[in-house]
Amino acid sequence: MADLEGMELSPHVAAGLPGWPETLAHLTAPGRRHAVDVLRTAEACGRPFVQPRCGVGGHRAMLRLLGGLEAAGPGMLSVTIDAHTRLKKFTTAESLLRANPADLNGYPLVAHGWQRGRELAEAVSVPLEVRHGSPDARDLFAVAVASGITSFEGGGIGYNLPYSKDVPLARSLQDWQQVDALCGRLAESGVVVDRELFGTLTAVLVPPSIGLAVIVLEACAAVREGVKCLSLAYPQGGEVHQDIAALRAVRTLAARYLPPDVEVFPVLHEFMGAFPRTPDFANALILLGGLVARLGGATKVINKTVQEAFGLPDSAANASGIRTARLGASGILDFVRVDEDRVAEEQYWIEREVAEIVEPVLGSGDLLTGIEAAFRRGRLDIPFSASIHAHSRIMPRRDGSGAIRYADSAALPFSGATSAFHSERLRDVHGTPDRTLLETATADIHYFLSQEDALLPHDTNRERDGS
Amino acid sequence: MNTPHEYGERVVILGVAESDAHAVANRLIALQLEEHGFTVMNLGVCTPLEEFADAADACPQAEAVLIGSLNGHAHHDLRRLPELRAAGRLRCPVVVGGNLSVGSHKADADLQRLRDLGIDHLLDGAGELVLLLDRMRSALDAELRHG
Repeated sequence: MADLEGMELSPHVAAGLPGWPETLAHLTAPGRRHAVDVLRTAEACGRPFVQPRCGVGGHRAMLRLLGGLEAAGPGMLSVTIDAHTRLKKFTTAESLLRANPADLNGYPLVAHGWQRGRELAEAVSVPLEVRHGSPDARDLFAVAVASGITSFEGGGIGYNLPYSKDVPLARSLQDWQQVDALCGRLAESGVVVDRELFGTLTAVLVPPSIGLAVIVLEACAAVREGVKCLSLAYPQGGEVHQDIAALRAVRTLAARYLPPDVEVFPVLHEFMGAFPRTPDFANALILLGGLVARLGGATKVINKTVQEAFGLPDSAANASGIRTARLGASGILDFVRVDEDRVAEEQYWIEREVAEIVEPVLGSGDLLTGIEAAFRRGRLDIPFSASIHAHSRIMPRRDGSGAIRYADSAALPFSGATSAFHSERLRDVHGTPDRTLLETATADIHYFLSQEDALLPHDTNRERDGS
Repeated sequence: MNTPHEYGERVVILGVAESDAHAVANRLIALQLEEHGFTVMNLGVCTPLEEFADAADACPQAEAVLIGSLNGHAHHDLRRLPELRAAGRLRCPVVVGGNLSVGSHKADADLQRLRDLGIDHLLDGAGELVLLLDRMRSALDAELRHG
């Protein structure tokens, strides 16, 4: 392994990088606008900005895509990385890039190299963020930083359990520890890297307190290494009061568990589950996401598109999604008020549940060892894990209002009061006759599809594939 | 429906095909089977056919190997079944379910291609799974009694 300021790298990736002083000089050049600057500006004006996910294989195509999306008014743009690069199969990504870049489901930044990364960053007036899904992102992070990109998503739990079958948590946590430590060294040199943590997890019926507990622990681990700026992301679940409460809880939890000199920005991921198929309903949900982000006090919102149900969106659909989410967060909906008592009640329970989950881990000695041990014992758990390193015994369920509750909290260390709250909320939907667990879970997953069927029953735009 | 203790412990091997990382249905099916009293050896997502064979070797009492495939690549992922069977492995019934070929209209030819590999049962959804396992078990018991 080669080494970049303490971060271990694959030798051939390290060999292609510019020297560290050159990278630092590039990052600190006068007038350079970093992600943290945009986040601070949005925070000060109290209205979230919109950021799309976007990435295609070819360099020219990526430049065109970023240029096309910039016109829709995002506050930041993404460089979404392809699946091969995420798994460090850089040579596979490189040969596909040569043969047929359209076969890549994202931009292979390592194969393209930092010089092209700088071209991307300099082609648009808004900062870029690298979004991926790698349990080990050290090589990718080195190329991102050399490219002048100072916003980087992922963490040792959230980028492992939903994406990999058998990467031990100790491994991914230590690899991300090195990324965070390099951010710490950059902060000492005056370069603040925005580290976004992926509380979205598997994106299917994630109870708010699970997503938030995971990012609180990842945030504590990052801060310990010197990270100074965190974007903490929560996925829209679908019930408005619960979603607003969860976004507001990001701030209270950060104030409780993180030192005051760390800047924290709440992020809303627009609904990541089974997405409506009609453009009309899809647009309504995209607009709603913008509104929920504003009401919850998010600093940014990651938009969805009308093509969500069918695969990766094209540039026009993505631009339209950005505009619609911007309208949702805009002043035209500023008259909207919510039932603040209901939000406050949800927020109370979310904060209490997160405390019950994370405090035993935070008090257990070494943080990373504590996280790993908690997952091994099921004291930390996520639903529908792709990885064998989470028990995945917890079972979420929507209550009558659509809010996501725990039908079974398995071995999570919940108090009697917390468990009773969830049973109480689920009393009306429990014991629905003639429905198996599989059927109720499917209905909960298809929450917005059922509403779409009910509200737009005769729409011929929609094609069902039955899956 | 038969209760499990009529048969003693009932074990099944469950997993998702090699190229497929869809975890949600896999987890739900495991829970459903456990609710019905089965012991589920869940190999999880992205499981090569050889690993199903290894599990079946390690667990000869398993009633069936249940393979989910949602990404349409079932035929490619399971293409080595005849080879493994010829080597005397994976002798218990293999049940495959999910979305079994690319595209939204399933041709009979797609399903026949899977049957030709030697797959014993094809299912569209997991709803009929317990029923199928009970039927297979009854048929096997009848065979043992009369055979």
